[in-house]
Amino acid sequence: MELLDRYLQAVKRHLPWERQDDIIAELRANLEAQLEDKEAEMGRPLTKEEAEAWLKQIGSPIQVAARYQRQQYLIGPAVFPTYWFVLRLAITWGAIIYSIAKAVDIAAHGLGAEAIVSAVIYLPWVLLINAAIVTLVFAAIEQVGVRYPGKCVPFAPMAPAWSPSGLPPMGVDEANKPRSFAKASAEVIFGFLFLGWLLLVPHYPYLMFGPGAWYLRLPYQLAPVWLSFYWCLVGINIFELTWKIVDLARGAWQRPKSRAKHLSMHTLSLIPLSVLLAAPDHMLFLLKKPEDAVTLGGALASANKGVHLALTIALAIVVLQLVWGAGKMGVEAWRNRVAAMR
Amino acid sequence: MTLIENLFENLRLELRRGCLTLAVLAQLKQEHYGYTLRKALAAQGMEIEESTLYPLLRRLESQGLLTSEWREEEKRNKRFYRLSIEGEQIFARLLEEWNQINTAINNLL
Repeated sequence: MELLDRYLQAVKRHLPWERQDDIIAELRANLEAQLEDKEAEMGRPLTKEEAEAWLKQIGSPIQVAARYQRQQYLIGPAVFPTYWFVLRLAITWGAIIYSIAKAVDIAAHGLGAEAIVSAVIYLPWVLLINAAIVTLVFAAIEQVGVRYPGKCVPFAPMAPAWSPSGLPPMGVDEANKPRSFAKASAEVIFGFLFLGWLLLVPHYPYLMFGPGAWYLRLPYQLAPVWLSFYWCLVGINIFELTWKIVDLARGAWQRPKSRAKHLSMHTLSLIPLSVLLAAPDHMLFLLKKPEDAVTLGGALASANKGVHLALTIALAIVVLQLVWGAGKMGVEAWRNRVAAMR
Repeated sequence: MTLIENLFENLRLELRRGCLTLAVLAQLKQEHYGYTLRKALAAQGMEIEESTLYPLLRRLESQGLLTSEWREEEKRNKRFYRLSIEGEQIFARLLEEWNQINTAINNLL
């Protein structure tokens, strides 16, 4: 039957070459026997349409051949947990090391905003390459293990010799633990003390810098933008303290800190950072005497550039944390909604 | 196919997978080639697709549970399978497991 020959030829193309002939010979014998039975039952040869329907019911050549493949996955269940653990480590540490290396490079060579943008754009590629290398290594481990099961030491998952007695003790869920009155009161008291200290710092710099207050004798001074930064900090602290006092007065101090509250405080922290980043010409430090610019101007420019870069990275980290937190809150809200609907 | 039907189909296939191996091992206490094995299983109520059965036979043979030989029958070369000694031992243990599961499920129902 020509159609069967064509079908088997198509199956053969997708079979592992070393077993092709053997598998096709067996498949042919089985299908021909089946065809003979069908034709004997009907008392006539199958029509073209009937033969097509029969072969279609057996399955497409690719599907049939795929069932003869030894392995259908790149990384199997025994290796996968370790692969996933290593992959996450590689991506996290890859991002950290790359960011530090790039920040040092940019600061050392005095590169500008263009270099920062290029570094950020290149980051996903670095992480993708990391992930690809880890995946290739683990796929190779899997393949070797499957092909030479007797010759290879079986892949040991992480911590193979674990013992139940070695498990860590149950942790307390600090995030959802009700707060005590003493703790809530202490937070208000220390909040007042901190605010008092913050308000005194401009008049008594040694309260912040201690012996380091000698910096005041340096030929540099803080740019006016730091004053705006300072008042932002004072404003945020007053806002947080007021919130705590209201909680205490309303008896809401027992409630654990909500994710929304945490996120809103996190958002507020963007304001002082943004104020510093918006400093005109990134001038965060100035010379006390403008005539020193000839001798100290270079060092000052490097310092301003370095601090501005550090602040940009800090802002990026805060924004990422904020997005992550908001995403988690969204998922949590969606899950709660789905659970409530059930 | 709806989500529920899809879920049912996946669970049904999962449930059948182990049972098919047991059925094939049980039937291969007698020698068969692929097509007659399929017919014999179908006659006992265990329908199984060609594209599932024939590769399964290969896999069980590579695991040492079956032995096979090519032989001519009715002017056609066919590959005949039967249980190996290891296959008989494994089948006996699987059958014991199957009976335990069956009893437990019956008790639960």
